[in-house]
Amino acid sequence: MDAARDPNGPDTDDDGSELAPGAAAVLVEQTSRQARRQFDPTSPLAAVAGASVFLLGYGAVWWSMRGQTPYTGPAGWSIAVLYALIAVNAIIATGYLRRATNGVGGRARRQRNAQAAAFAAAGVGAWTFQGALLYLGVSLQIVDGVYGPTMPLIALAAVAAGIAATRERWPQLGLCIAFILIASVSAFFGPLGAWGLTGLGCGLVLLGYAAALVMRQRRPVTARR
Amino acid sequence: MTTSTPQPLNPLIHAPARLRILVTLATLNDGDTLSFTRLQQMLDLTPGNLITHLRKLEDAAYISTEKTGNGVTSLTSVTLTSTGRAALDVYTKTLRTLLTGL
Repeated sequence: MDAARDPNGPDTDDDGSELAPGAAAVLVEQTSRQARRQFDPTSPLAAVAGASVFLLGYGAVWWSMRGQTPYTGPAGWSIAVLYALIAVNAIIATGYLRRATNGVGGRARRQRNAQAAAFAAAGVGAWTFQGALLYLGVSLQIVDGVYGPTMPLIALAAVAAGIAATRERWPQLGLCIAFILIASVSAFFGPLGAWGLTGLGCGLVLLGYAAALVMRQRRPVTARR
Repeated sequence: MTTSTPQPLNPLIHAPARLRILVTLATLNDGDTLSFTRLQQMLDLTPGNLITHLRKLEDAAYISTEKTGNGVTSLTSVTLTSTGRAALDVYTKTLRTLLTGL
């Protein structure tokens, strides 16, 4: 409470007569920013955790597949690393989401449920399609090597992009579009390219996003005139 | 060219605690509700103080409250009404006009 007098004294009915317009403007800006930050489920730490999935998880799979002729697929240990990082990332993201949405109900709760259904449908659809490709005899090199690291990511990013667009959250929309572009283009470079370029590209984009979040949080509060 | 005299700041909103309550609720989308407990934590107000200010805002139809459940498990949620959002909008516009005129 650096902008105005502390309203948390005795249970008084403050009339604001001593509140100067400039102090009121700072109070509005400060309160709005604090509230937005507290309701925002994104955080630099969650973004860095997400980047680790791409840089370390995808990187481990790429590392295990280098120089394979013929293609035999990623090593078991690298898949274990990838899924462990995904699990840790999911726990961190869920923690931030719970903290941000704690006590928020009404329309927001219904929207969260609908969004979860959309994400689940996109993920299940993409992975079922992957199974169908295997069933139809498409080579492992394509199904696991190219489709695996890219298509589920594209499907989930497309859902996230739609949500970000309707909420007018432009940085998140840009992030999702970058994911889709990187994953789509990397598919042209075969299994190594798909894992390596998607991992490197998405990881670096997420680190940049984390840096942008930190800079936004450090921006000083001033009265707008 | 004519110069219009800026409207006076709405005295009901122009109080630090009530201003913070309205701005916090306005951060949420239309139709979203916020629990009394979360609002109290966010604003760092005592329950009695928060209730006093919420009553005043509710009397002016700027917010609406809903209580669900009974006894210790009851949960009060607060939401900003369209009247409240419009009033806050007018308030911030008036504030901007005042600051521009300084």
